Amino acid sequence: MSAVSISSARLSAATYAGRLAGTASRLARRGTGASIRGKVMLKIDPSALQKLLAGKRIALVSGTNGKTTTTHFLAAALRESLGPDVDRLVHNAEGANLHHGIASALSEHAKADIAILESDERVVGDLIKLGRPEVLVLLNFSRDQLDRHHEIKSLSRSWRMALAGAGSSGPIVVANADEPLVVWAASAAEQVVWVDTATTWTQDSSLCPECDSGLIRIQPDRASGQDADWYCSGCGLARPKGDYRVESGTIVDRAEHVWDPHLSVPGVFNISNAACALAAAELMGVDARTALNGMRKVTSPAGRFATARFGDTTARLLLAKNPAGWAEALPLAQSQTVVLAIDSAAADGRDVSWLWDVEYERLAGRSVIATGRRAQDLAVRLKYAEVDYRCVPDLADALAGHREPVDVIATYTPFQRLRRMGRV
Amino acid sequence: MNNRGQRVELVLIYQSLLGLYGDRGNATVLMKRLAWRGYESVLTLVEPGDPLPDTGKVYLLGGGEDAAQISAVRGLKADGGLYRAVDRGAVIFGVCAGYQILGNSFTVGYQEEVIPGLGLLDVTTTRGPVRAVGEIISRWNGRDGNDQWLTGFENHGGHTTLGRGVQPLASVEIGVGNCNDGTEGAVAGTVIGTYPHGPILARNPALADHILELALGHELPPLVHPEINKLRRQRLRRVRRSYARNRRA
Repeated sequence: MSAVSISSARLSAATYAGRLAGTASRLARRGTGASIRGKVMLKIDPSALQKLLAGKRIALVSGTNGKTTTTHFLAAALRESLGPDVDRLVHNAEGANLHHGIASALSEHAKADIAILESDERVVGDLIKLGRPEVLVLLNFSRDQLDRHHEIKSLSRSWRMALAGAGSSGPIVVANADEPLVVWAASAAEQVVWVDTATTWTQDSSLCPECDSGLIRIQPDRASGQDADWYCSGCGLARPKGDYRVESGTIVDRAEHVWDPHLSVPGVFNISNAACALAAAELMGVDARTALNGMRKVTSPAGRFATARFGDTTARLLLAKNPAGWAEALPLAQSQTVVLAIDSAAADGRDVSWLWDVEYERLAGRSVIATGRRAQDLAVRLKYAEVDYRCVPDLADALAGHREPVDVIATYTPFQRLRRMGRV
Repeated sequence: MNNRGQRVELVLIYQSLLGLYGDRGNATVLMKRLAWRGYESVLTLVEPGDPLPDTGKVYLLGGGEDAAQISAVRGLKADGGLYRAVDRGAVIFGVCAGYQILGNSFTVGYQEEVIPGLGLLDVTTTRGPVRAVGEIISRWNGRDGNDQWLTGFENHGGHTTLGRGVQPLASVEIGVGNCNDGTEGAVAGTVIGTYPHGPILARNPALADHILELALGHELPPLVHPEINKLRRQRLRRVRRSYARNRRA
């Protein structure tokens, strides 16, 4: 046998073994099986990921908030343009975004030649090296799972180094111009398309990532037409001018064409995500009209914003993993009774101190049900926020018997459980 | 009860630099515990460049990253208000990075740069061998009953050693604390430093009231909050149980 066929035989064996493990895990109801499938594969063939990425056109999406939805937007845009050839596309739609999950998704669609991949912040550097992506979308950086990622800036630095290392063979980066840490990382790339996303969350960047001086922020002012802006007081780092921009709920593209997004998912933050996806789709060769037609078909990416039935109760599921995400999700929750589900498993972050960075005070006047394994921590937070609540730790009990539809905001682990319970 | 006429000012220092782990919750807790007892209170937020007010009864500092710590020390030294506050007998409460900068010096960055601190606590912080991340339970020195157990979540790379000018705040039961020497936090007069977040005053109301009593100079009537007691019982039980399980394994 030649070297090439030995190598591909090993990959086939790895894929097969992985599939068996994944099926076993799924049958044992331990999840989708995607991660374990990838784990077994990479054990048998450590270079499986690299082999699976080879020869594909790749677009990556990363950031602490909105990457799953943005990846769904981008995949939908590509799918729209592919028409009957959708099999050419592979997408880790369930959000399994570490090495294992990505290898697993790729192995299940081995014939695909276009990969739209959501990537965990920690994996971006490796994927740039292993996969030579064409496009990389960098959304944002906020405090998230600080028990694992101790310093937000170190992740930004890892992106910056990977992009600098890739040089002219690196991806074209689509970057959020409103996020100083993203701008700093993206500036190391040869080619950047800036998106002015009209992001409002500024609490996670006070100091310049380049020189540690204070960042100066200018608040937007509608009366004078002043847009939000930022620049460093010590060095030249400043907010780049957006090639694309979000403006009063519309997306303005590079040709100054104004698009009304008409998305099927709620939230102004999703218009920002769509603007980034649109920029990436155009770089991948999809025209804006086709891209937006596809993006409008995205209704509940990996269960986010899905409406599910729990017995007689109708509930809409919202995911919020960190203070920036809660700041987006809380205004969306409009029902009189709101269910909030909190856990501190590894995927949620084991430290729930962040509860005190969320403005639960704005729920005053509504009735809140605190649920999940860390419901009692939320109860104390709500007590101090002077918000009426009931503490019902069991998820099924918390959702039982609501006559009116309820909005549920959950951290990652209870969110996934609710998806299984509600089959969405 | 009406305690009007005694308007208590709390000062939350540099949230943009030292507010990484929900430590602003400590201010929320203190404000509410005053309000629930009929005190009028005001929270003053101070950002770098703003002068610290000379009228505060409690000054709060929270957690933050290396560069933020350096920036905060620079700002606070230039301002000088924190030193005047200590002379006046106000309470200074620093958590994590906020605790470290109250000390003589702390070490940051890949080059192990030693940065002089504010010198308000006789403690010195260097880089620890491994980062301390996890739930911590300690025993508050000089206290008894249920109040003696302090529960929180520590997340720090610093190794803090205590000098002669301070007493440890607590003794560690589970977790790392100052430098794995069994001590946690430091106290000198009205200056208190500690590692755990939680935020710590939300999980330990007796410590919150101790700070208020120290600031006001008199005792406060107790508040009864079953949900906080329940959280404390739950945290202590679960953390001890998982510690015992890990030790067996």
